[in-house]
Amino acid sequence: MLIVDEDEASDISTAVEAESGLTTVDADTVKGATEALKNDSFDCIVTRYELTDGTGMDLVNTVRSEAPQTPVVLFTDVPPSEIDTASFEDLIVEYLNSDLPDAHDRLGFIVDDVISHSVQVGFMAPENEEGRLEALSSYDIEELPIEESFSRLSDLIASHFDASVSFIGLIEEKQENFLACTGADWDSLTREKTICTHSMLQEDVMVVEDVREDSRFSENDTLENLGIRSYAGANMTTPDGHVIGQVCVLDDKPRGYDADERAELEQFAETVMEILELRDTLQTAQKPEAEA
Amino acid sequence: MSRSQSAAFGIDQLTDAEIESGTSILLTGEDTDAIESVFYRLLAAEDNERSIVLATDDDGRSVTRAFDGIESGLSDRAEILTCDGPSHSDAVTAIEDLTDLTATGMTFSTVVANAQQETPRFRAGIFLASSICGAVDDTRSVYRFLNSNFLTELRRGDGLGVCAIDTGADIGSSTSSIVAGLETSFTGRIDIADSGLTGTTLETSGIDGLPETIETNL
Repeated sequence: MLIVDEDEASDISTAVEAESGLTTVDADTVKGATEALKNDSFDCIVTRYELTDGTGMDLVNTVRSEAPQTPVVLFTDVPPSEIDTASFEDLIVEYLNSDLPDAHDRLGFIVDDVISHSVQVGFMAPENEEGRLEALSSYDIEELPIEESFSRLSDLIASHFDASVSFIGLIEEKQENFLACTGADWDSLTREKTICTHSMLQEDVMVVEDVREDSRFSENDTLENLGIRSYAGANMTTPDGHVIGQVCVLDDKPRGYDADERAELEQFAETVMEILELRDTLQTAQKPEAEA
Repeated sequence: MSRSQSAAFGIDQLTDAEIESGTSILLTGEDTDAIESVFYRLLAAEDNERSIVLATDDDGRSVTRAFDGIESGLSDRAEILTCDGPSHSDAVTAIEDLTDLTATGMTFSTVVANAQQETPRFRAGIFLASSICGAVDDTRSVYRFLNSNFLTELRRGDGLGVCAIDTGADIGSSTSSIVAGLETSFTGRIDIADSGLTGTTLETSGIDGLPETIETNL
């Protein structure tokens, strides 16, 4: 955890270490904190507002650019009305008034909570996110021989829909990892920059006919840079109901998908899950033999 | 501080059933007046509680009248953040720019924390979140705001939360898709299925203790 404070770093560190048990790194300026961010990744950042070379909001700006999903707590006696937010209108932070009688108790509790629940992300997570991640981790993806099968399937999906890109992606806690991708060379994307993190929340196929006309995605530079203009995604759902990934088709032009096409995309997603399940079952069945 | 195992919240103005502390409710409908009526009845604080309202389209006096129209003096237990008008009393805080969710979020958290110094139990609500979605350029900032400044307060404290969405409003995206996404992060949903002169029908899902259908006269 990174603590940014000119004067009382030790007080803040003591409060958060006692509650969370995390190790703290101290910095006393925006510049120093920025350097620390380049060298390390942090579970959480606690910063004062007034710093000698800028403000805590300047630091938040850097964090949102470099590590957008890292939670930041602004711990200050400066009231919200006196904090300059004009240039930082969508840099949501956790604000805690350090003058409150129970401020240090609250700080420790809040730090523990923001880390446990990834609370400052720019997407909504399923209520059963913890169970979903457990379900995802139950598949030993690295060891399963699925790469070739999924690559062939991804090629077929792109060809079937005459789409410029298709992919099979798994949605981890903080990013989406692409197991197969046709028409592009993507490994992973930060979760809040993906459309899939929204699509996974819907039971049926989610279609975005034109990302430029949808306020969830129109300001997303990553999508713009990747040339994504339209999207259709179907859920990869485990037998116990957890959505662990998406099977998607993308295009570089606005496009709709009719009911038949949506149903077909769902069938492809079901096929992907069947392959994953079969490979996983086979691997589990073979393990005792190999060990014996 | 600790996560509290607290008493349920009564909603006598709607039903005899109670709602567990920590519950977050997505309140949806196409009839804005009906949404407003249900919203303030859910937010009506009892003696040992505070109501905290982020009013996107109403001024402080309108919110005060909405509470007092349910029960005289109810607004005395309310803290109001208004995006439409000045602060005319200590209980009303003006939000200068609805799209500045950084300032709005910090102010909201401050009001909740201050209210908890007086009494730990609170009912917090946003009327209307669809107006925020419609006003901002990037919906991700709304999600960040809800995650950081709204849902967290309910998880950490002894509270009940209500986030109202006018599904008939233009929110710059697929309303049904956004509602479907939000629904998964909230405990449950109350949808105003029908409203008219003869009464209002509410359909509920995911909220322990509430019947699936509530018939009420607002």
